[in-house]
Amino acid sequence: MSMIRYFSVIRVALLCVALFVAPHGQAGEPAATPAVAASTPEPATPPEDTRALDEQIQSLKKDVVDLNKDLFVLEEELLFPANTQLAIFLSMDVGEFFALDTVTLKVDNKEVANYLYTPKEAEALLKGGVHRLYLGNIKLGQHELVALFTGKGPNGRDYSRGANLKFEKAVGAKYLELKVSDRQRRAQPEFEIKDWE
Amino acid sequence: MRSSQLLTLAALLSFALASIAADHPLLGRSAPDFALRAGNGINVRLSEHRGDVVLLTFWSSRCNQCRAQLAVLDPLHATYKSAGLVTLAVSIDDNPVRAREYLQSVRSQFPMLLDPAKQVGRSYDVNVLPMVLLIDRAGAVRYVHRDYKSGAEAEYVRELKTLLDE
Repeated sequence: MSMIRYFSVIRVALLCVALFVAPHGQAGEPAATPAVAASTPEPATPPEDTRALDEQIQSLKKDVVDLNKDLFVLEEELLFPANTQLAIFLSMDVGEFFALDTVTLKVDNKEVANYLYTPKEAEALLKGGVHRLYLGNIKLGQHELVALFTGKGPNGRDYSRGANLKFEKAVGAKYLELKVSDRQRRAQPEFEIKDWE
Repeated sequence: MRSSQLLTLAALLSFALASIAADHPLLGRSAPDFALRAGNGINVRLSEHRGDVVLLTFWSSRCNQCRAQLAVLDPLHATYKSAGLVTLAVSIDDNPVRAREYLQSVRSQFPMLLDPAKQVGRSYDVNVLPMVLLIDRAGAVRYVHRDYKSGAEAEYVRELKTLLDE
């Protein structure tokens, strides 16, 4: 937890620098102009200088944004190292027989996620979106994932189904996908868990 | 003598309430995100309304002032909806059945969300009902009102206009 706070502080500090740099640089221009104008009657700040300063500010801002991105990746790598990382994704295909409402995830009989989907999120999933439902750490070895889905099934009735998968956590990061699709022949939704290996 | 004592007490009470509201830990900070089920069965997530001004109110079916406040918020919502106002009313009733019964008796135009576990109530430090928070378009809590007194809507309108104009 302290690690998360540490990274958050660094990222906030970086963003503050980025925000500070832009107005500071722009504010510097009008302050410099009257001072120079007072000493010489002609306009002393040529537009080229302003452009160069602006380019410098932009490049500095870009550096800060890149640094923030690198820090974010580093944060994920440190908090969720590959040898313990478990990521669970959810995708939907068609969705004619099932309107998703909630998903509850249990890893080794312990609830790790309970997600409520809004109509907009469900629509995004139907358009091909993939949602990262859970990112966490588990030990190496055998584990069991149980996913409970609730929503509206065929004919708009309340529908609840579960799916489970026993999987082996090896040294590399583990990616699992919960896939909701339509089984046209039986006019029923189908729930499966895929192991991305 | 007694009336002067009462006046002093009332002044102290209003000062205490004002200072409580001013000291709300979320003032000026990002509003904690949540997803709750509405009474009509639709799920609502606060972060989906980033870019809108959100009026978030916490209520309970047992609280009479909450009823009065909800009645006032309905026309307010109808007036400013088109300008980008989103109103969300969160019930923190222990018993969702009671909240649903109450919802059937009122016909509000905004979503009435149910939080029987009070998780959202805790994250917003709700200790007085009703409580109103005004969240700006960037998702920061800008104004907090604890308790409700008749005529408070004028202040809501003034603050809402400020946020909607930003």
